[in-house]
Amino acid sequence: MLNELMTALQAVATVQNFLIIAAGIWGGVIIGAIPGMTGTMAVTLALPFTFYMDPVPSILLLVALYKGSTYGGSVSAILIKTPGTASAACTALDGYPLAQQGKAGKALNMALYSSVVGDFVSNISLIFLAAPLALLALKVGPPEYFMLMVFALTTVAGVSGNSLLMGFVSACLGLLLATAGEDMYGSFRFAFTDDMQAGLSVAPVLIGLFALPELIKLIVFRNPPKARMMEIGDDRVSGREFRGVAKSLFRGSFIGVVLGAIPGIGPSAAAFFSYGSAQRASPRAANFGKGEIEGVAASESANNGACGATMIPLLALGVPGDVITGVMLGAFMIQGLTPGPLLFETNIHEVYMLFIGMLLSSVLLLFAGKFTMRIFTTIARIPPTLLSPVVLLLCLFGIYAIGNSMFDVVVLLALGLVGFGMFLLDIPTAPFLIAFILGPMIEENLRRALATSRGDPTVLMSSPITWIFAALILFVIALTARREIGKANQRKADAQ
Amino acid sequence: MIGIVLRGFGTALFFGIVLGVLIPGYVPKPAFIPGFALPPDFWPRVIAIAGLIFGLIAAGLGLAGQGTPVLPAEVAEDDTPKRVLLFRFGALVTAFIAFVLLTDVIGFLGAAILLTGAAIVLTGERRLLAWGAGLALILPVGLYAFFTEALGTQFPPGLLFN
Repeated sequence: MLNELMTALQAVATVQNFLIIAAGIWGGVIIGAIPGMTGTMAVTLALPFTFYMDPVPSILLLVALYKGSTYGGSVSAILIKTPGTASAACTALDGYPLAQQGKAGKALNMALYSSVVGDFVSNISLIFLAAPLALLALKVGPPEYFMLMVFALTTVAGVSGNSLLMGFVSACLGLLLATAGEDMYGSFRFAFTDDMQAGLSVAPVLIGLFALPELIKLIVFRNPPKARMMEIGDDRVSGREFRGVAKSLFRGSFIGVVLGAIPGIGPSAAAFFSYGSAQRASPRAANFGKGEIEGVAASESANNGACGATMIPLLALGVPGDVITGVMLGAFMIQGLTPGPLLFETNIHEVYMLFIGMLLSSVLLLFAGKFTMRIFTTIARIPPTLLSPVVLLLCLFGIYAIGNSMFDVVVLLALGLVGFGMFLLDIPTAPFLIAFILGPMIEENLRRALATSRGDPTVLMSSPITWIFAALILFVIALTARREIGKANQRKADAQ
Repeated sequence: MIGIVLRGFGTALFFGIVLGVLIPGYVPKPAFIPGFALPPDFWPRVIAIAGLIFGLIAAGLGLAGQGTPVLPAEVAEDDTPKRVLLFRFGALVTAFIAFVLLTDVIGFLGAAILLTGAAIVLTGERRLLAWGAGLALILPVGLYAFFTEALGTQFPPGLLFN
């Protein structure tokens, strides 16, 4: 294997490949950072350009765009609380408060380092663990998916802020909104209009809930206490800070790798999973959601950790891990490569070139992130009274461009108002988004599991994987209950 | 305390409406469902029942003098008159509705220019109004050109420019 890797390294190490990967990373970071534009859009738009390229450079371009946009989503999440991608929503929970405290540079640097580490771990896992992870992915069926998603949903407990009960209410709202549209058997639920038959897209809900309420607060309250120009501040991440988050960083990377290798889960669920795990394990758990750098590290390491891992089911089984790798599957086919087990026999040289190229993209991500950071923080210095309306404008164009639909724009504006209402009622919005993303997967896999077992609910506890997740769910429930009882006792003691 | 109780009952009422009105009215049930397949209204019902219970618990906690305050501290401490706040909010909602309606008349670009300008004015910005006007005019045109030329997006032209 080492000989093949060295041969592949010589083949990849050309100026042309280097420029292609660099262009992909840079383009991805910039596109991911623009509110309303997504990595899927970037990869889809680049696809026609790859027709005229050799197979490996074309795939590397798309992979670089994917990785760059995954990191780029964190930039806008931190600076303007507008996650560029759904997977950056968790990053906004702690990244934006850090930026408000004048530590935008620190948050951006931590996001970058976490993304690079997660990406690197993901690439190494792809190279050495593709086969066993692909076999693990094959063992995951509807009952296992269901339990995994329910466990991921327990992250809600950690992002509910002051009130766990309001967090549950928010999650119920998110789960309910996610049921709108066509279900797996073709029934149209809550289809008040024809546009609603397709359900609500993630992008307008995500941006509407996170970004628009900030503009609305600025307009209604004119000068809310935290509205000040973001300063880079102390932009370094000290060695002590890095060592303090190392456990969460590497845990998040491996969570991203394992979940990314399972088709259909994607970086968003991996980010939520990692964030919840980091909060449970952290000695600074109470600071999560208020500007805890470990939250940024956990989220970013997982979402970039999932990037390379989504290539595992694609390469090993021919099954795309998410939407973007679905587009890449098309790119493979166009180039005459057929992903699947035979790819490792018939095109092993191209596969190793891909591996080397992905490792190189991790290094380039570090440089691209460092260079673009200064540009983006300069943008964040624009007064909020001008920046927020500009962000609204970008969101309007971006959201419309995704689906060519005014309905998505209406959803964006409506969810902005809903998000503002939730702010006034002190109902946290993060659980809403987590539940909205995970809800369809939970319901679909529950129904599939019960359909395949002919209604026998014990199928949900039929394998060791389901037992493990059930035990973890009970553990989280017990931990949360203990924490809430402790809080209630503390409040009583303070009142006395 | 009243706010906390009202929030709880409001939540319960919302989910009660979903359970009693929206699900029966807008979640169609197929004529035949095999015994082992969950009906399409199963999951929405579970969520609505859970939301109803949580709302009632929240209301109960409010009546018992517990529960988190309704308004965040930064809002409760704001001393701007409520009618001014309501006016600003109403103006913004009007701007959003106008944007959606005007898109059909003057097109997406025209409506976006007006909405951006309105949003800048509504933020209370006065010192950099010239910059704001420039941004409201130039940036939408630039974005329109990028999205139509580079991405091939077809924005609604509106009745006037159709």
